[in-house]
Amino acid sequence: MFWHSFKYAFKTLIKNRALVFWTLAFPFILAILFNLAFSRLHDYDVFEAFDVAVIDDAEYKKAEIFSEAFKSLSEGDERLFNTQYIDKDEAEKKLDADEIVGYVYVEGGDAKVKIRQNGTNQTILALAVEQISQGVKIVNDVAMTQIARSAGQKVDVEKIYRDAVATVTDAEPNIKDDSRVMNIVSIEFYTLIAMACMQGAMMSAELMNRCLPNISNRGKRVAIAPTRKGVIVLSNLLAGYVMLVFSVCALIAFMRFVLGVEFGDNMGLIMLLAAVGSLTATMMGMFLSIVLKTNESAKNVIILIVTMAGCLFAGMFGVTKGFFDNVAPVVNKISPVGQITDGYYALFYYDDMARFTTDIVSLLIVAGVFLALSIRGLRRQRYDSI
Amino acid sequence: MTVSKAFWKIVLKNIGTIITYTIILIVFGSLNMSSDSTTQFEADKPSIVIFNHDEERGITKGFIKYLSENAEIKDEYEDDDKLKDALFYENVVAVVDIPKDFSQELALNKNPELKLRSSSGYAAEVAKVLVRQYMSTAKSYASLNLSEDDLAKKVESTLSDSTEIEIKSKVDTSKYSRATRYFSFANYSILACVITVICLIMSSFNRVEIRKRNLVGSIELKRMNGILLRNSCLYSAMMWIVYVVLGFIVVGLNEMWSIHGLLYAVNSLIFCVCATTIAYLISSIVKGIGAVNGIMNVIALGSSFLCGAFVPAEYLPDSVLTFAHILPSFYFIDTNNKIMAIEDYGSSSLLPIFINMAVIVGFCIVFIIASNIITHKKERLA
Repeated sequence: MFWHSFKYAFKTLIKNRALVFWTLAFPFILAILFNLAFSRLHDYDVFEAFDVAVIDDAEYKKAEIFSEAFKSLSEGDERLFNTQYIDKDEAEKKLDADEIVGYVYVEGGDAKVKIRQNGTNQTILALAVEQISQGVKIVNDVAMTQIARSAGQKVDVEKIYRDAVATVTDAEPNIKDDSRVMNIVSIEFYTLIAMACMQGAMMSAELMNRCLPNISNRGKRVAIAPTRKGVIVLSNLLAGYVMLVFSVCALIAFMRFVLGVEFGDNMGLIMLLAAVGSLTATMMGMFLSIVLKTNESAKNVIILIVTMAGCLFAGMFGVTKGFFDNVAPVVNKISPVGQITDGYYALFYYDDMARFTTDIVSLLIVAGVFLALSIRGLRRQRYDSI
Repeated sequence: MTVSKAFWKIVLKNIGTIITYTIILIVFGSLNMSSDSTTQFEADKPSIVIFNHDEERGITKGFIKYLSENAEIKDEYEDDDKLKDALFYENVVAVVDIPKDFSQELALNKNPELKLRSSSGYAAEVAKVLVRQYMSTAKSYASLNLSEDDLAKKVESTLSDSTEIEIKSKVDTSKYSRATRYFSFANYSILACVITVICLIMSSFNRVEIRKRNLVGSIELKRMNGILLRNSCLYSAMMWIVYVVLGFIVVGLNEMWSIHGLLYAVNSLIFCVCATTIAYLISSIVKGIGAVNGIMNVIALGSSFLCGAFVPAEYLPDSVLTFAHILPSFYFIDTNNKIMAIEDYGSSSLLPIFINMAVIVGFCIVFIIASNIITHKKERLA
């Protein structure tokens, strides 16, 4: 009887087009949209050279060290700038037409920058010009000190300057970069997986509604049927759970292998978290379906609100999870969406498994609480009239 | 009157949906608002945590001072897990670990190791540039065999020389960035509210049993369609008024009570009309009420993601933006960006805005024609 009920519950779910869209298709559509919208934020280390101009007048030509250094930033495959050497009038026109980010000119021996507005590229241009100017000052300082120290001796000024340039160029600081770079956009995809898991709550609520006599006609038939109610409820929930785990795993595989989202290398644990998250969502759907004494659409709206609020706190809509972790740390610790998201984050970003294990255990505890409350709500239900 | 009554009854039934999308607009539209001044050049200050294991003297003291002046130093992170989280969420973009005897070794022209942990992104790159610049300068001067204090003074003197930055634009165009973000985000809310409600109404009227009843009723089909169209336009206009009034509240009276504000309002009105025509086209294609929510979400979310309502267009890949040209939302959002950038109200500034508005009107005409063709075909088949 169990498998008979399981088979029909599964068939009913697949034939429910709205449910299939929201639980199966919608997370995939969102994943594709996220990938399209965030793909350039994702490629933060890909730098594209941008257009700038240099006022190529006598003063600029006179500032030899500066002009050589700036030229070196405008050459080769890894150049910072696409530099045009033009006169001031033309540079002004190009700046007005937004054809260049800004232009560099030398006035009174100092390099200056003219831009139209603040921005990332403008900051890079200003920083580069400032660094070159400071480099020129260091060269002059080092050379002048060496000349002063050689007072009374015959000095080769050109050699001293060459050595000073070499000193500055070769001054490679010993910086050990221990960064563990992870793209902040990954969290959007993790919340999406959590959301996909939570759509399972809607699925299990739908299945439970079909077993509750006070909600549907099928529920009335189930109530008076000789089959044990527990068998029907369990087989229905299992059908929903199997379909949910399958869809979430397919979503993860799609994100990992098609969209290239980083999850770390441990696919077993990734799938385990998906399975535990789906279980919690299934239990939550069952619990809400039993305790909420209202119609199906109102139940769905409440589940949707719980899910989307969880997604908001977990960082799906721009404001980061970190922000909510600071202002209301309890929310993401009890919200299944927050726990699933945090689990994927911990799996990839943390070296030890303590945080991941905590998330898995918390999810299981939440699932257990929902199950216990649901059993309490379902037991010994008797109706005088419906 | 009966048709209008039924129309507004369905609108009232869906008031929850309207309120939900309006709240989404207010919450997320407001969250994304922040304005920078462009009339003065300001480099962004990255947030840095410093762990100093050296005595605070010489180069170490100078290095900390330099970072304090050019970055925001955060000192509330003692727990390593919290620091890791802060690096991930970019609340902190770099952690600098100054080793013991750093100042002394640098003055002796040795090369002490400085540990650096950084997050990803632009601010982290700025932080790395600051650290590298100070260290390179100190390393260059270290070749002169100066004392620790003299070395620190030399480095400070050199790094205090900043480049003069001149900003050409005298009009603070970013003054309207809040309004631009609000109205661009409204792309989602307008599409969601207009498409959902109008599609639900049209689907209700198009249900076979209702349609058959209406066909034998006293009101001519043409007249009934006219009433529905008028009420749909009235509903869209009401939504537009609500969003513009909310714009005055959320963005501010100063920004909105201006020619810029008027242009934002006109642009959103044209887009509301366009959303109405999209709704008519969808309802002529879609049969059941159940599919409306799914289709609406795909259209509203899809166009909002691809055209720059959620993520600014400058961060979108070129291929996505090229594709987005076939969607009216692209022209709506692009017009908002263009309105923000205008410095005068001359024809050269306004022409691109009017061209974009004309393109949206063109989309409206295409959607109306397509909707009529499909409806006529369906009627003939029926």
